Amino acid sequence: MNKHKRVRDGLALSRALPDRSLLTMVAAMSLLIALTFTAAVGAQSLSERWARGAANLITVQVPDPDKAPVTDNHTTGGSRVEAVLGTLKTAPDIVQLHRLNEQELDALLKPWLGNTGTAALPLPAVIEVDLTAGGVLSDDLVSTLTTIAPGTLIEKNDDWRSQLHTVARSLLFCAGLAIALVGTIGAAVIGMATRLGLGSRRESVTILHELGASDGYVARRFASRVAVLSFLGGLAGTLVSLPPIAILSHLMAPFSGAVSSTTQNGENWFPILKDSLLAFWHGAAPQSLLIGLGCIPFVVTLIGWVTAQVIVRVWLRRLP
Amino acid sequence: MIRLRDVSWHHGTLPHEGQATLRNISLAIPQGGFRWLLGPSGAGKSTLLRLLHMEALPRSGDMEILGTEIGSRSKRSTLARLRQRIGMIHQDFRLMPTLSVADNIALPLRLQKRMEGEIAQEVDALLDWLGLVERKKARPVELSGGEQQRTAIARAVIMRPSLLLADEPTNALEDSQAARVIGMLRELSDLGTTVIVATHNDTLVQRFPAPALQLRQGRLFSDE
Repeated sequence: MNKHKRVRDGLALSRALPDRSLLTMVAAMSLLIALTFTAAVGAQSLSERWARGAANLITVQVPDPDKAPVTDNHTTGGSRVEAVLGTLKTAPDIVQLHRLNEQELDALLKPWLGNTGTAALPLPAVIEVDLTAGGVLSDDLVSTLTTIAPGTLIEKNDDWRSQLHTVARSLLFCAGLAIALVGTIGAAVIGMATRLGLGSRRESVTILHELGASDGYVARRFASRVAVLSFLGGLAGTLVSLPPIAILSHLMAPFSGAVSSTTQNGENWFPILKDSLLAFWHGAAPQSLLIGLGCIPFVVTLIGWVTAQVIVRVWLRRLP
Repeated sequence: MIRLRDVSWHHGTLPHEGQATLRNISLAIPQGGFRWLLGPSGAGKSTLLRLLHMEALPRSGDMEILGTEIGSRSKRSTLARLRQRIGMIHQDFRLMPTLSVADNIALPLRLQKRMEGEIAQEVDALLDWLGLVERKKARPVELSGGEQQRTAIARAVIMRPSLLLADEPTNALEDSQAARVIGMLRELSDLGTTVIVATHNDTLVQRFPAPALQLRQGRLFSDE
């Protein structure tokens, strides 16, 4: 015989506990947890990618690019920018060099200069240097570059990376705090529902106690019921959260480096939703997000089970 | 074996005059003994039975129930296991309102996880003996006082307890039915169950002679 088989003991917990309201509350809290968790994972993912990109990308600005280099030790070209490019090509740790052309500079400066163009301005040449992971420009190389082209500015992105990390850490902390808060409120709501159930079954619980039912038995009966309701609520809340999460993942895909789907029409949400859910279904979302969302019903169930156990056992202490 | 030595009990933290209390109760009942518990209303009969059922624990003194020392430091799991060996018939019956007569009677066996086939046999036998066959599916609210009392008696005896405590178990029964019930309790006693019956019914006491415990104002005046 199954040790934990439920017996007809008269507790009738399906009528004693406020099923619908408990289920709805747990579903709402699970929805909040899912959205908060998604925001945290999204922020983490974006900051990591941006920080990684920022760490590997260096911008070199060469003023007066068309002038002749200051020293003639380098015979790679007749202008400063060509001399700088030639020197950079010989350096280790560099994956790619790219000098921005006029159109790219126009596009870069458009927010500040508008459509007037940059032709009339004495702009420096801008070179994007893509380093290998962990790669650096040596001090000797930097010194050489500034000698060839005085005033050359090498913009490292360490400060940005540090700030991004700080922002990401802060967001994660806030998300963790929010999840903990929602979990605590959830436990309190479950606790109150359990107390209500105990109150309405006070007489029956007392009779069972007098017949020799252990605290563990009574607590298990309540906890099992609460756990089932919590699981259903957690599942419902998580399922409801999937469409908005899928859309968010879809919209964030270009920023996080994932492949974006073809739908870009912000005025028509149905195709976006459809594409988002399809992409979600095919694993476009980060694995950590999927695992976390999958865990929510089980975590909520555990919270419900533990809370009910504690509440019932404490309540039973008033009986000898 | 039931043994109490200088056991006292009162409500709250301090005893107050006029409250139902037990004062310095000492008694010893061997296994299989049958005792009447007599005394006027308010003498403490129900309180003593509640104490023996461990619904309350002694404030002072020593108490041994079925070979186990009971005190405020006793483990709750120990008390629960001990209660499974004690049958209690309350004055107010304390039946599960959501269960049928048959399920109420079967409850102690179900809590002990007995096989359903065995439970059904035991329940049917008791229903038949107590004349409740026709009412086996009725809920307590649908029963008369006598039927509720018989259901409570059946629930208390179905597990063949080592100790049976009965608080006015026949006050809602007709005389013939009351005599049958006391006769059954005497038979249980002969089979090894210790039985203590609190009653006001002098007729039954005279018809079934047995040692009596006399309680007056919380004090035990006679033991055997």
